[in-house]
Amino acid sequence: MERELRLMKGNEAVAEAAIRAGADGYFGYPITPQSEILEYLMASKPWETTGMVVLQAESEIAAINMVYGGAACGKKVMTTSSSPGISLKQEGITYIAGAELPCLIVNVVRGGPGLGTIQPAQSDYFQATKGGGHGDYHLIVLAPASVQEMADFVGLGFDLAFRYRNPVMILSDGAIGQMMEKVYLSPPKERSEEILPWATRGKPATRERNIITSLDLDPKGQEIFNQKLIAKYNEIKEKEVRFEEFQCDDAEYLFVAYGTSARVCQKSVELARGEGIKAGLLRPITLFPFPSVRINELSSKVKGIMSVEMSAGQMVEDVMLAANGKVPVVHFGRMGGIVTTPEEVVENLKLKLMES
Amino acid sequence: MAKVKGSIVVNIERCKGCEICMISCPTGTIAMAKEVNSKGYNYAWPANPDLCIGCANCAIVCPDGVITVYRTKI
Repeated sequence: MERELRLMKGNEAVAEAAIRAGADGYFGYPITPQSEILEYLMASKPWETTGMVVLQAESEIAAINMVYGGAACGKKVMTTSSSPGISLKQEGITYIAGAELPCLIVNVVRGGPGLGTIQPAQSDYFQATKGGGHGDYHLIVLAPASVQEMADFVGLGFDLAFRYRNPVMILSDGAIGQMMEKVYLSPPKERSEEILPWATRGKPATRERNIITSLDLDPKGQEIFNQKLIAKYNEIKEKEVRFEEFQCDDAEYLFVAYGTSARVCQKSVELARGEGIKAGLLRPITLFPFPSVRINELSSKVKGIMSVEMSAGQMVEDVMLAANGKVPVVHFGRMGGIVTTPEEVVENLKLKLMES
Repeated sequence: MAKVKGSIVVNIERCKGCEICMISCPTGTIAMAKEVNSKGYNYAWPANPDLCIGCANCAIVCPDGVITVYRTKI
């Protein structure tokens, strides 16, 4: 079947992809710059076509707990928000991770801290990858760099969430959420009516009751559960690392950037190569699991690595751990909702890596 | 050749304040408003309407099709 081509905003692509992925429920609350997701779903009325529930909750906290409930029933449920709203959802997210339930969370990041600005930023990297909530847990974090990936990662995110029974976060930003690009949409999937064996959908006579909880009052039991989680995260680290390389083969200087910054750096690589500087770009697509192994391999070949982010320097810490002291690792970034220019990146490469 | 005067109409609610139109305007007609729309964006507006020559650069570059350009001969 031929895929459908449309011109869409990143946020609209998420909403359309959710309907087409056969999602059972969306629970959200409006916040710039992600409001178009809820607006698009409300206008599309998928409850009349696929039977997908779309509900504007009374708050972000209510929305994430509706997701918790839906996920406990084995349903394909999701929520979306932007930075301050995602902070409100953190308690729910750690409970969902603790209860080992699948769900999809989209964060269209804006400048922070606090209410910050409504323009794009990448300052929620720590919150997304290191666990914004409490306890030893991880989300699987996908970082789209185009409207196409905004759409594709919805289906991929649900697949990963159900495969590992773990919440998945799509860490986007205001630029990708708001920009319009062409996008190939995958053909619509039917919603699944299958009752999953662990779902709390009523106890039949044939098995014991299912219990969904994140509570264990016995510390020994909790430690065993923590070890089970670690084993799951290790399996994810082994199997699910995704990244993209751009002119890395003969690179002497390496940019590491994701999302909007990666698009900027692609141009920076071309500009640098025009000046005779052999630059390359590694774009992590999964931020957890992080492509540490590949960065470690590349750090034996290059003279220096620069992490380019729209933040004060967050992913740079993971790049440093991956490079493990083999080469200098520096950071460059703009903050507060300002997107770096390709020229600025090249200038800072020279200043911070080549001249020092 | 008859002189052309232009004017623009901005769909304020659809504008996300990316400022591309402001940069593309050759006469400095467009500026970003100090006020914000319902989503919180400082929207584009014709701050100096008398300068508009109706070139439609702003409408062409606008990623969201927010701007409509009208031309009149004078």
